[in-house]
Amino acid sequence: MAAQIILFNASFGLCLAALACWSAAYVFRKPRLAAAAVWALGLAWLALSAGLAVLWAKLGRAPLSNQYESMLALLWFVFPIAFYFHRAAGRTEIMPAAALAASLLFGAAALLDKTAHPLMPALRSDWLIVHVLSSMAAYAAFALAAAAAGWALAKRQAEAADEFLLRLTKTGFAFLTLGIITGSVWADTAWGAWWSWDPKETWSLITWLAYAAALHLRKNGVRGFKFAAILPACFALVLFTYFGVNFLLSGMHSYG
Amino acid sequence: MIKFLSSLRLFFAVTLALGAVLIYQTLFNRGAPVYGTPWFAALGVLAAANIAACALGRARTASARFLLLHTGLVVIILGAFLTRFYRFEAELPLRAGETTDTAYAGTAAYKLPFSVTLEDFSLEYYAEPLGRITVETDGSREVFDAKEGTVIEVPGLAPIKVLRAVRDFGLTAGNKVIEKSPYWHNPAVQLELKSGGKTRKLWFFSNFPAMHAQTLPFGVFYAVEQAEIKNFTSAVALKTAAGRELKAKISVNRPFKVDGYTLYQTSYDPAEAGYSLLTATLDRGAWVVYAGFAMLLMGVLLWLRK
Repeated sequence: MAAQIILFNASFGLCLAALACWSAAYVFRKPRLAAAAVWALGLAWLALSAGLAVLWAKLGRAPLSNQYESMLALLWFVFPIAFYFHRAAGRTEIMPAAALAASLLFGAAALLDKTAHPLMPALRSDWLIVHVLSSMAAYAAFALAAAAAGWALAKRQAEAADEFLLRLTKTGFAFLTLGIITGSVWADTAWGAWWSWDPKETWSLITWLAYAAALHLRKNGVRGFKFAAILPACFALVLFTYFGVNFLLSGMHSYG
Repeated sequence: MIKFLSSLRLFFAVTLALGAVLIYQTLFNRGAPVYGTPWFAALGVLAAANIAACALGRARTASARFLLLHTGLVVIILGAFLTRFYRFEAELPLRAGETTDTAYAGTAAYKLPFSVTLEDFSLEYYAEPLGRITVETDGSREVFDAKEGTVIEVPGLAPIKVLRAVRDFGLTAGNKVIEKSPYWHNPAVQLELKSGGKTRKLWFFSNFPAMHAQTLPFGVFYAVEQAEIKNFTSAVALKTAAGRELKAKISVNRPFKVDGYTLYQTSYDPAEAGYSLLTATLDRGAWVVYAGFAMLLMGVLLWLRK
C-alpha cells in the first residue's frame, strides 16, 4: 500500500479513536479520556499533513486537481480551524464536532476515485492552489459551523453557542468570497471570461447569497436557536455545490 | 422610495428571487438560459439599487468595512453590466503560415485592429506516448512495446514482426503511408504475421481496435499509453494598425494582450496539425469588476477583524 494511503488511514483511525474517547468520556464521566481524544485529533492532523506532503512529492504538483485531492485539502483545514476555536474561543464542543466532521469526510473520500492524472492544460496554473485552498477552507469552516450548530441544538445550548457560530460562519464566508474572486480572476486568464454561469460558479453564488442572507438575518435579531437551525440548511447548499454539481450537472468544473 | 430601496426586506426578497431563479436555471430549465433575459437584468439592477441605497443612506455613520464591502458589490454588478453590454468575443481560426485579421462570432465576421500570423503550433505531452501491442490467444494475453524491427514471440503462434509504427497515419495520393503530423492523432502499427498459412502485412489502429478482428484466428490490438497532453501553444506574429510588430507564444492559461484585446489559446484540431483556434476578447468591464473585487475583499478582511 502506498505510504500516503497508510498515513491517511492512520489519520482516519485516529479520528474514529478520538470519537470513541469522547463517547466513553461522556458515558463514564471520565474527563481524562476527553483530553486523550484531543491528542488523538492532533496526531490525526499530523498524519494527514504527512500524507499530503508525501502525495505532493510523489505527484510533483499540489494535490488539488480532483474531488479526492480537494477533499483531503478540505479535511486538512477542519483541524486548524477547530484547534483555533477551541483555544481562542474556549469552545470545547468544537473538537468532537471536528472529529465527527473529519470522520464523515474521510469516509466519503474513501469512496472517491483515487487515480491521479497529470494536470490537464486548463488546470496548469498557480491560481489552482489559491482558488482550491480558499474554497476548501470555506467548506471546512461551514462544515464545522453546521456540525457545531447541530451539537448545540441537540444539547439545547444554541443561545450560548451563538457568538461562536457567528465567528465560524464569518470565517467561512470570508474564505468563500476569496474562493469565488480568485476563481473568477483565474477563469479570466484560462477561459477568457471572468464569469460564465458555469453550474459550479452559479451554485457557489447561491451558497454565498444564502450565507449573506443568514448573516443579515442574525444582524437583525435572528439568534440562538433560529440561527443555529439555519446553518445546517445553508451547509446543504455547500454540499450540493461541492458534490451535487459534479454528479448531476455538466460544466467546465467537471474535474472536481 | 429610498426607504423601500434601502430596506432589508427588499434585500431578502431579491436574494430569495435570485436564489430561486438560479436553482431553476441550473436544475430544471431546458430552454434558453435565463441569464440573457431582461427580467434577470432587472433583478440585477434591483440588487445593485438595494445595496447602493443602503450604503448611501448610512454613508455618514457607517464603518469603512461596511462601505467598502457594499460599494464593492455595487461596483461588481456595474462591471457585470458593462461586460454584458460591451464585451467582445470572437474566434480566430488560424492555419500555420497564414495571416488573418478576421475573427468570427457565429456567422458574423469582425475585422480586428491587428493581424495575426500563426508561425507554429505545438502540442506538448507529459511524456512521450508509448505504443503497445496486445496479442490474445485462447489461453494467454501478452503486451509488447511497438518498436519498429522487433519480433514478437508468442507460444503457439508464428513470430510477429513490427514493420512500422506511425503517430498519425496518413496516405499520399499514391497510397504511400506517411506521418500526417508529429502528433499522436491516429496512431497505427504495421505488423507482419502469419495466419492460415499465408504471410500478411496488416495495419492496426489504436482508434479502430476492432479492425481485422473477424479475419484473424487470434486477437491483435494496438493502443497508446500515457498520451496525456500537457499544453498546446501557438507561436504567433502580430502586426498592429499602428505598424507595431510583435511576437508571442499563446498557450492555455497564458493569454496575450494587444491593443486592449486579449488572445486566448482555445482549441486545436486533432485531425489537422497546423490548425489552431484562438479567441479574441475585449472586456473593459472586467477592470471595473476587478476594482469591485478589491473593495469587497478589503471590506471582508476588515469585517473579519471586527
